[in-house]
Amino acid sequence: MGPIRRASELQPPNGVLRTEVERLVREDGASDVAVAFYDFATETEWSLRGDRWFHAASTVKLAILLALWEAAARGHLSLDAPLHVRNRFISRRDGEPYRLDPARDADSEVYGQLGRAMRLRELAHHMIVTSSNLATNLLLDLLTPAGARDSLQRLGVEGIDLQRGVEDLRAHETGIDNRATAHGLLAVLRAIYEARGVSQEGAREMLDILLQQRFDRGIPSGLPEAVRETAQVANKTGDISTHTHDAGLVLLPERAPYAVVVLTAWPAGGESRQSTVARVSAAVYARLIAGEA
Amino acid sequence: MREVAGLRVVDGARLPEALRRVLKPDALIVDEAGRGRRLPRFFYEVDSRLTADETQLAPWFRLSELLETDVREAPQLQGFPRYVPCAVTLVAAALSVFRERVGTRVQVAVNGGYRSPAHELSHAASTHNWGTAANIYRVGDDLLDAQERIDKYATLARQVLPQVWARPWGHTAGFADDHLHLDLGYVTVVPRDAVGEERPGEGAP
Repeated sequence: MGPIRRASELQPPNGVLRTEVERLVREDGASDVAVAFYDFATETEWSLRGDRWFHAASTVKLAILLALWEAAARGHLSLDAPLHVRNRFISRRDGEPYRLDPARDADSEVYGQLGRAMRLRELAHHMIVTSSNLATNLLLDLLTPAGARDSLQRLGVEGIDLQRGVEDLRAHETGIDNRATAHGLLAVLRAIYEARGVSQEGAREMLDILLQQRFDRGIPSGLPEAVRETAQVANKTGDISTHTHDAGLVLLPERAPYAVVVLTAWPAGGESRQSTVARVSAAVYARLIAGEA
Repeated sequence: MREVAGLRVVDGARLPEALRRVLKPDALIVDEAGRGRRLPRFFYEVDSRLTADETQLAPWFRLSELLETDVREAPQLQGFPRYVPCAVTLVAAALSVFRERVGTRVQVAVNGGYRSPAHELSHAASTHNWGTAANIYRVGDDLLDAQERIDKYATLARQVLPQVWARPWGHTAGFADDHLHLDLGYVTVVPRDAVGEERPGEGAP
């Protein structure tokens, strides 16, 4: 499967949107920003620094979700297969074991299953909906980073640099991190929505998981209040001390959806800046959808 | 509840080739120290999950507790019928003695009872391939993920089971840091009513 084709750029509004995004992030104090969107209605794409690499934070879980379903579609594994829940992983840096700190994980439910088994499908749900780091590392341990990269390559997804499990702090200290570009995450979202390399049923299942997302202060918050009542957003956030991201599909009634990715970098020590992501989301909506009216 | 005596004993050497390839009955494999170890030949055939759940191996342990594996097990052994070496009754009996000593529930982990030589975690001859080992994750509310707790329960196990071997605490191969591994060594069991043990090409003695 070849690379996901870049659609033609939106012409009239792109300069305006670029200026607006730059102004927003400057006002809020972000040190860097990248934005990309793809409109399934018009098959147009727009980006600002779409190929710039960022620490992926938890948005990398989107890529793992896609790689898992791709492996299942190839018959490599069954999503109903059980997996031993174990809090012990091997550092990419030196092969030494490390554990996740439950206190730093957004999801405690998976820790309650230590020693027992959970189905791959259930773990994927926890990885996305509550951003479980333990579920993520268990799935990546099974797929292996190289195996997941191979899956993404087969799907034509570029711009995702998947290197290690989450919270592998020793690897982080030596600069081994998971990275993503806005174009890369956009390609993952498109692959999910377009059912690339997976069945329609599989794509629908991934979408259903994403639609149950509990973190909604980014892209969903940026939609106008009246739109939020009828729109659905299938998204995955990423939040660490220096980066705040969101990537999602915005499903609107009576119109094809659009995919949007907002990646932001911040000076160290700051709090979550999802409100800035929401403002960028609002700007994209205004230019892309409100502009149609 | 069912008794283990109700399970059919099968000679692994007579199973279909697809199963022999993953169970490797009577095959000689090499342990971590390079010594040859001969795998078990006789297995209980477990026809369903219900049978595994209902078969009481020892007072405190059902067959399913020592049979649960995950996606890393060979595909032929992820469904039913499943095959488990007959020596699994010995480790269940030993675990029951341990259970009596600690006075609370003992949880064997997934992949922590029997796993086949074709399981992805089976790198060298592991006593798990003989069905004579158990990885204990939890005793009562104690999660065995720290040296203090692992050492404590290993000591208790040795007090009541002098023949048992406990893997020492540590992070590298040959050690354990997130469970207590207990095993009885490379023990095989040939039930009294099993067929003869002659190997292919061998005549009767």
